[in-house]
Amino acid sequence: MSGALLLTMLTLGGVGLYLAMPGGRLNYGRAALVVLAGAAALLVALVLPLLGAAGQRVWFALLAVVGLWGAVRVITHRRPVYSALYFVLVVIAVAGMLLLLQAEFLAAALIIIYAGAILVTYVFVIMLAQQAGGPAGYDRRAREPLAGVLAGFILLGALATRLANAAGEGMNAAAETDGGVGTVMNVGTELLTHYVVGVEVTGLLLLVAMVGAIAIARRRPEPSEEGEVA
Amino acid sequence: MLVPYLLIGATLFVLGLIGFVTRRNLIIMFLCTELMFQGIVVNLVAFGRYPLHGNVPTLDGQAFSLFLLAVAAAEAALGLALVVLLYRYKGTLDAGVWTLLKDD
Repeated sequence: MSGALLLTMLTLGGVGLYLAMPGGRLNYGRAALVVLAGAAALLVALVLPLLGAAGQRVWFALLAVVGLWGAVRVITHRRPVYSALYFVLVVIAVAGMLLLLQAEFLAAALIIIYAGAILVTYVFVIMLAQQAGGPAGYDRRAREPLAGVLAGFILLGALATRLANAAGEGMNAAAETDGGVGTVMNVGTELLTHYVVGVEVTGLLLLVAMVGAIAIARRRPEPSEEGEVA
Repeated sequence: MLVPYLLIGATLFVLGLIGFVTRRNLIIMFLCTELMFQGIVVNLVAFGRYPLHGNVPTLDGQAFSLFLLAVAAAEAALGLALVVLLYRYKGTLDAGVWTLLKDD
């Protein structure tokens, strides 16, 4: 991976994301779209030579672009419901990548748990707290978008340059298998032999979280002056 | 083989981070933590599929990801219960409204 190309991609991505952020200025949505499309094209051009088989390349490029596009929309959309729906898109793209990585059971579990369970909770809460008459003021203006985007992309730049160096050094070319790595049987055996204590602790964690959520949600706010509620 | 997945995972994580810092809606902030979890899942599974030592795929990354799913579910339940409670107190989802601990 060439460093200059990488930096161009990161700059384009940062500028596009900044333009797409909800802000008090005019609507730069179209310009942001063009810039982000450029960044995506560069990303695909950078990453594709590193991948193996041709079929895998096409799927990876598709899933990467769809997933990152969904992620950008999650953090830039002004309506929370649409953010939640774009997050489903991200989950589906990530599940596709897990399939490419031969984690078949995990891909199915991710869709069922995230898109099926967690996102439904989110949508319910958004419906409960929905405000009439378009997006609220705090959804229309981001908090310090420039500083946030800069900080995030500096972190990403540091990570990506290091990763690019690692790719140049020739990391381990793993064995190609014909799928079946992450089947239910394999994952289940692994979980119930090596990680059996973890499974028990996870069960306890879920129980505590359930009890806690019910306890919190049952509390009634007492009428008192602002800032005094306990 | 490993690097593209790590790159996508890092990008997802950073996008979640940016969203968490810049958005002011409590629900979107929680959604952004889930976005960061997605990036981490990609990383974990990629490291399991293409391990740094040896070339036999391992399942540790997938086991970790399953635990991460459970933690994410617990976090979503508790976090959203808190959001609902906060919304009942002030009738808004703006994170800037809550300044009880602010020193001014």
